[in-house]
Formats: sequence, structure tokens, C-alpha cells
Amino acid sequence: MPRTLDRGSDPVQPGRVRLAMVAVGLVFGLFAGRLFQLQLIEGDELRRQSERNSVRTMRLEAPRGEIVDRDGRVLATTRPAFGLEVVPDDLRNPERTFAALGQLLGEDPSGLEKALGKPSRATRFKPVRLADDLSPDQLARVEVHRYALAGVATEVEPRRHYLEGDLAAHLLGSLGEIRSDQLEKDEFDGYRSGDVIGQTGLEAVFERRLRGVAGGRNVVVDVAGREMDVLEEVKPRPGRRLVLALDLDLQRAAEQAMREVELPNDPRPTGAVVALDARTGDVLAMVSRPAYDPNDFAGRIDSATWKSLTTDEWVPLQNRAIQNQFPPGSTFKAFMAAAALHEGVINEHTTVFCPGSYWYGGRAYRCWKRGGHGTVTLHVALRSSCDVFFYTIGVKLGIERLSAFMTTLGLGHQTGVGLAHEAPGVMPSPEWKKRRFGERWYPGETVSVSIGQGYDLVTPVQLAVGYAALANGGRVLRPRLALRVEDAAGNEVESFPPEVLANLEISDRHMAAVMRGLEAVVSEPGGTGSRSRVAGVRVGGKTGTSQVVRLERTLGMAEADIPKRFRDHAWFAAVAPVEAPEISVAVLVEHGLHGSTAAAPVAQRVLQRYFEKTGRIAPPPPAEPAAPATPAEPAPATLENLQAAAGGARAVD
Amino acid sequence: MPSIDRRSLQHFDWLLLGLVTLLLAFGFANLYSATRSGSEVGLPPEFRRQALALALAAPLMFVAIAMDYRRLERLANVVFAASLLLLASTLVLAPLTRGNRSWLIWGPFSLQPAELAKLGLIVALARWFQRHPPGRIQRLRDLAAPSLIAALPVGIIILQRDLGVAVLTLLIACTYLPFTGIPWRSWAGLAGAGALGLAGLWSFFLKDYQQKRILDFLDPSRDPLASGYQAIQSKIAVGSGGLLGKGWLDGTQTQLRFLPTQHSDFVFSVLAEEWGFVGSVAVLGLYLCILLWGLAIARNSKDAFGAMLAVGIVGLLFWPAVINVAMVLGLAPVIGVPLPLFSYGGSSLLASLIGLGLLLNVSMRRYMF
Repeated sequence: MPRTLDRGSDPVQPGRVRLAMVAVGLVFGLFAGRLFQLQLIEGDELRRQSERNSVRTMRLEAPRGEIVDRDGRVLATTRPAFGLEVVPDDLRNPERTFAALGQLLGEDPSGLEKALGKPSRATRFKPVRLADDLSPDQLARVEVHRYALAGVATEVEPRRHYLEGDLAAHLLGSLGEIRSDQLEKDEFDGYRSGDVIGQTGLEAVFERRLRGVAGGRNVVVDVAGREMDVLEEVKPRPGRRLVLALDLDLQRAAEQAMREVELPNDPRPTGAVVALDARTGDVLAMVSRPAYDPNDFAGRIDSATWKSLTTDEWVPLQNRAIQNQFPPGSTFKAFMAAAALHEGVINEHTTVFCPGSYWYGGRAYRCWKRGGHGTVTLHVALRSSCDVFFYTIGVKLGIERLSAFMTTLGLGHQTGVGLAHEAPGVMPSPEWKKRRFGERWYPGETVSVSIGQGYDLVTPVQLAVGYAALANGGRVLRPRLALRVEDAAGNEVESFPPEVLANLEISDRHMAAVMRGLEAVVSEPGGTGSRSRVAGVRVGGKTGTSQVVRLERTLGMAEADIPKRFRDHAWFAAVAPVEAPEISVAVLVEHGLHGSTAAAPVAQRVLQRYFEKTGRIAPPPPAEPAAPATPAEPAPATLENLQAAAGGARAVD
Repeated sequence: MPSIDRRSLQHFDWLLLGLVTLLLAFGFANLYSATRSGSEVGLPPEFRRQALALALAAPLMFVAIAMDYRRLERLANVVFAASLLLLASTLVLAPLTRGNRSWLIWGPFSLQPAELAKLGLIVALARWFQRHPPGRIQRLRDLAAPSLIAALPVGIIILQRDLGVAVLTLLIACTYLPFTGIPWRSWAGLAGAGALGLAGLWSFFLKDYQQKRILDFLDPSRDPLASGYQAIQSKIAVGSGGLLGKGWLDGTQTQLRFLPTQHSDFVFSVLAEEWGFVGSVAVLGLYLCILLWGLAIARNSKDAFGAMLAVGIVGLLFWPAVINVAMVLGLAPVIGVPLPLFSYGGSSLLASLIGLGLLLNVSMRRYMF
């Protein structure tokens, strides 16, 4: 079949090529016209602009949103911080300028010159920060003399300020410059290097909401670097306000109680407190000691502070409330009681004879009381912490049922509190042991687990969640840190309802039996929790000890002589009021020796404060120096204040 | 072995080579000014790196000229597959830099395989058109196969998260459309189908952050301050050049480095400031001549492979040049696209020179039938 001539000889149609040529020509003609307009018509004007002025972009940081407690009391806010900047290219007489600055700031001029470094050609138009967070005096002196200091500018910057110092430091978290590995994550899309972000605690969890959106302005500057004209400005949008579930009064009481724990030869007690609303999971207090002052991280942290924080043997940066996991000791017995009742292994009236030890699998497991408790009921077993009773019900339950119940109760996995690095704890089971050690489960191990001294590990927050569940009928709640997020005008933009993660549906009868046993620990003679009594309120609780080293190591030593790191950890977990529980408290005093003397009094202080606040008991007489003096609060730094301060600083020109 | 027989040599396209050489000389002189640093001695590092890239690209350009392009047609599938493989290797080997995985880095060398993938795509499409003469393509559905060919590199580049380059590659593929025999009215249907496809992709497959990236790319004024600053500075630099310019190495805006990317994306503003209207128009004229000459080569080629190869290479140069110059002149939003043969960037230079080598190849073998 013969091809038609035109298509056979021409692989492309000449008409189409001509059309393409015309199109390309038109585009380039348009470019020539635009060049004509810019260079020949507007050329003179643009040339003048290029010679006289230059345009610079300045970034306006958005003030970070406030963090407030459940009653709106401010925990973290933003205040203006004034820094001193120098644009190297604009310096007229560097030597004289530095000498003057040294005098005005009260610093060594050569140090300032060193801070400036040797700017390269590419960087000499970029402002270099020479001083951070000027005092009002320094600021005033510099501003008065600035007309004579070409190239020197003061810059205002929002600075994070934690009003209560180290209070709830781990919960609130701290800020830091974004790391390069973070910059590459989608999570930080839109961030740039040098940005200061929440690195730990709630500051990190709610980073996006607290942050706000930075603005900026394009300004015309003259040859001396002074602002002549603002070409365009985008106002920064302040961050959202975060309303916590935390109760500042309870937090203060807990912090102070932890600070005042008295231990032999241990001037700086370490440990954690978690107080939850047993009905909603609200985290009313979360303490971890030792703490640090997050204000140190708000600017540039000095290396000495950083070094001392990171090399401290007692790791102040660690949030013990969620990160430290230890065997729960006897605090675990309340969970065991609930499990055995719930699974029908015992009832309220079941008795067990305790001769002082328990024979199982050909070996004796001792009760802590050598002589034995005799015939004990659940009530007595909880009050006296009888090991044999719980060995018995543990073996009756079997590790599978025991483990399943505890796992549902929130042990052995994260509580979902939402903070980074939460430890999962351990709730052992045969599968777990196979996975972890590749070995089968030995029945004797069930015995140790039953009194909280086996493989099982809990964190303070897990203990508080577990006790809350025992007290509320078996509802396992997610610890709720934040109630809501508000915009600058105070309107709610997001809220976080309470969340029930699991429901064991423990019957009222079983719950009451456990509660009465816990109450006996606190209120009856022979109970170990007497130091957590709150006059006028029925408190239930349980002490616990988790062994740190083998008994032989410290045998025969006086407690005061045992080095701190070998001492046992002290636990106390409490709920109140017993008849209709509202609050659960878990206290860990590391190396506190005894739950009864070290941990129970801390819980007492928290409960006391809680019931004073709710009006159930009378507040203490005013003479008592109970609450620490409130630090003076600086004027709230609103966006307007910051803008005004920024404008003011520049208006001196 | 690549070799040039006497007959081809007689028809060697000295005019095109001359235009390219002139443009390169202009480009290097301009890059020197854009990267020069008054206080430092010796050549600026970016300039040195670009010169090294030229030294590496020149022999490859020679191969592209010497080897008969009809042999390339037989190798087209291999070339295309190799370019895709290299491109795909970035997904595994390339570190994440500035949000995308576009760069293979090996010691001091870095390569952007997407630039070479554009050439691979041009070769593959030209081969397809050799087998399906463009003049006889009348229906849109005939374009299913070439669309699939184009989708391969474009898809991988999207996976690299380099949306700018993905769009450019797609535009190069679209360069072929007007040269097919598809009647104009069918194009409306094509545009409609494309829009529908994009809308579906947008709402069903793209995650929030991906949508945001695309919006940022299409409309940089979403970050108004940063792009506003560059636009103002670019306008001042270009306009202040006037008729004759401030003279080489004497542009105040350039030498004071007001433009953050003056050696890459805003390199044309340096030229406009220092060489003025006369210099800028001259350089644009050189580009225009090369593009028109490329189209003429396409028209004169005796086979569809050569013709479509030429068309593709015209597209390879045309799209980035037009987008870049439009941006510098404030006619388009600020988009990071380099100006071929002018902007700093070795991979782009390499791809442009190999492409121009192929164009010379097609040109001198136009009488070989």
C-alpha cells in the first residue's frame, strides 16, 4: 500500500513545526518586552533603589502559647527577652563600637569581638547575636547610646518562662533548638534550623499547638542598617493555650512533701508522685525528684548547667513518674485481692492458714512474719500484708489468669499517658518468659509474682492507674494530662474527654472488700499505712518495698549505714475516700527503705490538700507555713506587649 | 566505537556548536561573577566545581555527537532502563536532603539522576514515535503507550518527593503532543481527562503534607515573606541594570549578595544587572536561536526517531529556561528551576550538553538516507 507523499517524506508535519517556532518566538518576545519595561522604563528608579536602600527580611517569632493548670493558673508563659545584635557590614568603627558596648553592658570588649567572629563575605550582612537576655539596665544604657553605634541593634524575642521554676518540670518539659534529624521528619515540616521547639514533656507533645506561626517583615534599611520603611509585614500568630488537668495546689503539696522526706544520710530524696482523679484519670499532680529548672533551657543553656544535669548520678532529667519501673512489692497485693475475688477463686470470707511459710514445688516460700499470721481472712491479709495468703491465691489463680487480669488492669504496657519514653513495666506470663529468656515458666515463679517480687515491674503512673481502677469499679483510665486547648481569645478549640481503655467490671461487693482491706492498712492498729491518715476522711492504702540488693549484702547493717544505692525502694499507693473514691495517689521514694515511713507521709500531704480544697475538711490555720511563697509574677507577656516592646526598641532611631 | 565518517563531518553543524559555545562562555563568565568573593583568592568553589562538571561532560557530549543516532535507537530500551535504574537507586541510596531524595552522593561528587532520566525518557519516546509515526497518530487513545513510558520516571521522581523536577519532566513529555497528528479539538478532551485524573489523585492518594507541598510549589506566596523578598530583590537587580548594565563583576546587588540563590535559580538576574538590556536580550536571543534551530533540525530530519529526538531536546531546554526567566522577571511565582547552561549545577549541565550533542548528531546526519 503506497504511503501518501507528504507523510512519507516528512516524519513531522512542517505546519506543526512552524507553529511551535512561532510559539517559542512569542514567549521570548514577551521576555524582551518585560526586560524593556524593567530596565529601560523603570530602570532609573530601580537603580536608585539598588544604590540607596536595601531590603532585608526580619522574622517575627510568635509567642508560644501558655500552659495553665486546671484552674487557669499560669505555669508557663512567654516574656520578652532583649538581645543585642550586630550587623558586621554596618559597623562603622568596630574598635570604638566594641569598646563602647563593653562599657554599656559591663562586659569585656574583646570577648564581644570574639563572639562576632570573622564574618565571611556571604555572612557579613547577617545580624550576629552578641548578648542574650539583657537586663533592663543594660537595655536602657544601650538604647540611649545607640544613635552613635551604627550597626548595633537590640532585638526583642519571645522567651519561654516557667513561673514555678522546677515545679512539674518533667511534665511541662523544656525547649531546645531543633536537631538536624528532627528537621528531616515530616512531623517537623515547615520548621527550619535554629527554630526552638518543645523537646521534652508536654512542650514536645503539644509542640504544634503551642508554637503559633511566625511572621516577618520586609524592611528597607539604610546604609547604617537602620530601618527606613516597612514594605510588608505578616503578623505572627500566637500559639494556643494549653489547659492542664494538673492542680497547682496539689502539685505544690506533692513537690514539697517529696522535698521534705526524711531519710537517714540522704539529704536529697529522689522519687516520684502521681495523683489521679480516680473517676476521670485526670493527672492532678505528677512529681519527679530531683528536678531541674526548665528556664535554663529557654535561652541558650550554659555548658556548666548542662554538664551537671547530664552527669548527675541521680539523673535529674529523667521523669521518674513514667520512666522508672521497679517491682511493686506489697502494693501489688491489692491487685491480687481484686483478681482472686473477680475470678471467683476466693470470696470475702475465705480463710488461709499462715504458719510463716508456704510449701510449693518442694521448697518453702517465707512469709515476712516468721511466726506466721495464723488463720487470716482477706481483710487481715491485706492489713497485715500476709505473704502466705497471697502465695495461696496466686497459685490458685495460676499465672495465665493472673497475668491476663493484670494486663487488662494496665500493667506490663504503657498507660498511654502520651509523654515520650514512658516505660512499659513488666507483667510476666509464660509467653513473655519464652520470648524474653527462651525458657519455660516454673510454677514457683508464680509464687514470687503474687507478692510483687517476681519479674513484675511497675511505674508510679501504672500504680496510680491500677489503684484508680480498683476504686472505680474496674475502669482502666488513660491518664489525662490536658483538658483542652484554647485560642488566644480563650475559646476552646480542642478538648480531650476522659478515656476508658478497659473495663474489668469489678462488682461493688468485691470492690468494697478490697477497699475495706486497704482502709484497714491505714486506720486499724497493726496496719502499715497509718502515716497516711487524714482526719475526717476514710483513706485506703498499701505500702510496698522493692528489694534493691540481696538481703545478705546489707544484713546486720544499721539502716543509716547502708549506702543509698543499696537501700530498698519504698512504695505507697492510696485511694480516698474509701466509700466513694475520688483520688488515687502513688508515691515512690527511691531507696526510701520503708513505704510506711518514707512514702505514706507524702501521700498524706497530697490527700490532705485535696480534701481541704474540696471543702471536706477544714483548711489549716493560717499560721502554718504550708504552701511556699508564690513567686512574684511578671506582667503577662501578651502578643501586644511584645510587639510594642519590639516597636519601642526600634523607634529610638 | 563512536566515529564520524567524512560525509557526516562535511555536514557538521558548526553554527549550532558555535551558538552553544557562545552561550556556555557567557554562562561561565556570569557564574564567575555570581560566585566570586572579593576577599578570597583563587576561583570560587562553585565556579571550580562547575568547570570540573564541564570537563567531565565534554567527552560525553563528544560521544553523543559521534555515535550514529540510529544506533542509539536500537539501544533506546537499554538506555531508558539504565536511566530508570539509576533514578530508582536514589530511593534506597540517596540521603534525605532538603526534604527530598534526589541526590546520589559519592565522596565529593553528587549526581541528580533525574536530569539523566529526562534524557532517557526523550530517547524512549523518540523510539516509540519511530515505530508509530507521529503524523499518523490521530486519536488520543493512541497516546496510552507513550503516557505509560513517561509515567515511569515521573512516578519515581514523585517518590523522591521532588515535585518541581517531576512537573518539568512531565512538561518535556508534553512537548511531543503538538507534533502528533491529533486534531486540535481532541486536546480539549485530553485537558479534561488530565484535570479529572489529577483531581482523583489529589483527593484519594495524597496525604495532607503532600498536598501542602504541592500547594507550596504551585503558589510560593503561601510563604509570602520569603518569596516576596526574592521577587523584590530580583526586580531591583534586573531593573538597575539599565540599557548597558553596571559592567561585569560590578553589579552592586550581585556583589552584595542580596539574592540568596543568585548562582543557581537567580543567575539570570546577575546577568541582567551587570550586562543590562543589551546583554540580557543577546543571551535570550542565543537561547531563541538554539531552540528554533533545534526545531528546524526536527523538520529536516529524515526519520521520526531523529525528528522526535530533536523535539525532545528542544523541550529539555525550553521549559526550564522559560520558567526560570519568567520567575526572575517577576512574571511567574518563585519556583526553584535552574536556567540550562547558566545556573550552577553539574547534573543539569551534563544533561544539557549530552542533549545538545544528540541534536548536533541528528543535524549532521540529515543526508544519510
